[in-house]
Amino acid sequence: MNMRQALVGGGTLVIGVVLVAGATQISSEAGYGGVGPNFLPWVVGIALLACGAFLVWEASSGGYRAMETPSGAEHGHWPGFVWVSVAILVNAALITTIGFILSCALCFVLAVRGFKSAEGRLDLSPQAWLIDLAIGAAIAAPVYWMFTKLLAINLPGLTSTGWL
Amino acid sequence: MDIWNNLLQGFITAGTPINLLWALLGCTIGTAVGVLPGIGPATAVAMLLPITLKVDPTASMIFFAGIYYGAMYGGSTTSILLNTPGEAGSMVTAMEGNKMAKNGRAGAALATAAIGSFVAGTIATVLVTLFAPLVAEYAVRLGPPEYFLLMVLAFCTVSAVLGKSTLRGLTALFVGLALGLVGIDQISGQARYTGGVPELMDGLEVVLIAVGLFAVAEALYAVLYEGRTVESQNRMSKVHMTASEWRRSWPAWLRATFIGFPFGTIPAGGSEIPTFLSYAAEKKLSKHKEEFGTTGAIEGVAGPEAANNAAITATLIPLLTLGIPTSNTTAILLGAFQNYGINPGPQLFDKNAALVWALIASLYIGNVMLLILNLPLVGLWVKLLKIPKPPLYAGILIFATVGVYGMRQSAFDLVLLYAIGLLGVVMRRYDFPTAPVVVGMILGPLAEAQMRNALSIGEGHWSVFVQRPMSVVLLVVIFAVLGLPRLLRLRRKLRRAP
Repeated sequence: MNMRQALVGGGTLVIGVVLVAGATQISSEAGYGGVGPNFLPWVVGIALLACGAFLVWEASSGGYRAMETPSGAEHGHWPGFVWVSVAILVNAALITTIGFILSCALCFVLAVRGFKSAEGRLDLSPQAWLIDLAIGAAIAAPVYWMFTKLLAINLPGLTSTGWL
Repeated sequence: MDIWNNLLQGFITAGTPINLLWALLGCTIGTAVGVLPGIGPATAVAMLLPITLKVDPTASMIFFAGIYYGAMYGGSTTSILLNTPGEAGSMVTAMEGNKMAKNGRAGAALATAAIGSFVAGTIATVLVTLFAPLVAEYAVRLGPPEYFLLMVLAFCTVSAVLGKSTLRGLTALFVGLALGLVGIDQISGQARYTGGVPELMDGLEVVLIAVGLFAVAEALYAVLYEGRTVESQNRMSKVHMTASEWRRSWPAWLRATFIGFPFGTIPAGGSEIPTFLSYAAEKKLSKHKEEFGTTGAIEGVAGPEAANNAAITATLIPLLTLGIPTSNTTAILLGAFQNYGINPGPQLFDKNAALVWALIASLYIGNVMLLILNLPLVGLWVKLLKIPKPPLYAGILIFATVGVYGMRQSAFDLVLLYAIGLLGVVMRRYDFPTAPVVVGMILGPLAEAQMRNALSIGEGHWSVFVQRPMSVVLLVVIFAVLGLPRLLRLRRKLRRAP
């Protein structure tokens, strides 16, 4: 039994269950057509249940068929993963309050920490933080100006000037 | 002739300074995106989709087409110079290209790739010019039942036929269809799978899914598994082909163009099959078989590169004439059209003739621009390969944020982006294809609408799908596509067994 592959199959089953459960809530009012808005949800839900079941079966009988060995290391580098995850989520949490440029620069700094730690050269000195913050801002600021000034597309700012 | 008048009009539209500038910008960004690892044309177009909110459709389609094309040119540079397993489309190029580069012939490999891309791209564009209007004219006669079946055919080929595992392909397809279900049902106006979250009423944005699945997943995958992967770069040499290299290259370009083009036009997308076929053909026909896999044979670079470009160009035929995307990038281009309220399909050539012809004309222009950008200026692009990974991926995350946030101004979408990124990591690690997710998500709602329209026409009877000759033909094709490979395998097994 390949546990991880079985888990992926299990995940598919869960999505299938969610879809089927949702499908029961959707009206079957068909109007002029033969089928209503709940038809495709049922089909997709049942298909995912079937796919999930087959995936679990494959996992338990010698693993997924015709698998390509995934690239990269055998085991994940989780500290780096946490850094990058935090970077993305902090960005989501702060973007409307501290503005696009600062929030993205922060995301950049945190993400760089993660990638460097994955390479085994994590640098937590204040100097490195500052340099990366500056690089992040130097990427984010022109992008921000291009969108707000040139294309007139709204991105959140710390101020309402459209510059920061 | 009508086509030539239209094309001339297209050139006039595409040739205005502002549109030329968009094309140049697109080609430049596309080449950069192609050269840089970790970001492909689908991601780049998706990230830049917010510009559809402000820029006029013709300019932005020219821009996106430039990115789509440019990435193909740029991708070959990376696969030749960098010793890293690249994407499937350029994997074949990498086989011989790498060998050539290791033997000091990187320049010749780059030259044959770029010129081959130009030749194939231009011939394929001529074919698109000639055939797309014909297909559109014919496609006008198709009704909802035929459309629905064509879409089902696209689903089958993208998920079940192209990948290594039918099961994983289908799983990916149904996940995509499930994502497409979220939001208000187009026909009845009923909310589905929104869980009461107002942000989900409008459905999930294409940008969100594509950027999450490609960019964010790529970044997360890289940090998790590829931190210690060391890449080495081959030395550049002068970009130049000798007379004998020219003689060996051009038949390969031409053969490959005619191998690649048909594969792009049928709803079976992907350039893996034609590039492999072209490689096999060149290996078989070459007078220099001993060079394949040893010192690197130039035909082995020329053919697959040309086949790749021809196939990529040809995917515009099903996209523009039928509204059916057959690859990640064309699926996102369809999303771009939808943002403008334009539905690609046979009517496109009537209703939006100016746009379509400007787009086609811009392909000719783009090919010339790309040849110039990629041959004399290749040294510039090679410098991009020196950017270290940490700031590169962290920078990609910034662009991902712009694309997703710029589309809907919703921080909630950024959280969803992360979730989709996690899904992408799992899919990549367990070898699930991603194209079916994106195609399923975008084409799913359209297919559902066609199906329900077809059933209304048939007054609720499913027999509507077998009553029309064209739909019967399509059904047969679908069954053949699904069944034939299995039957062949079964026969082989039976033969082997005594």
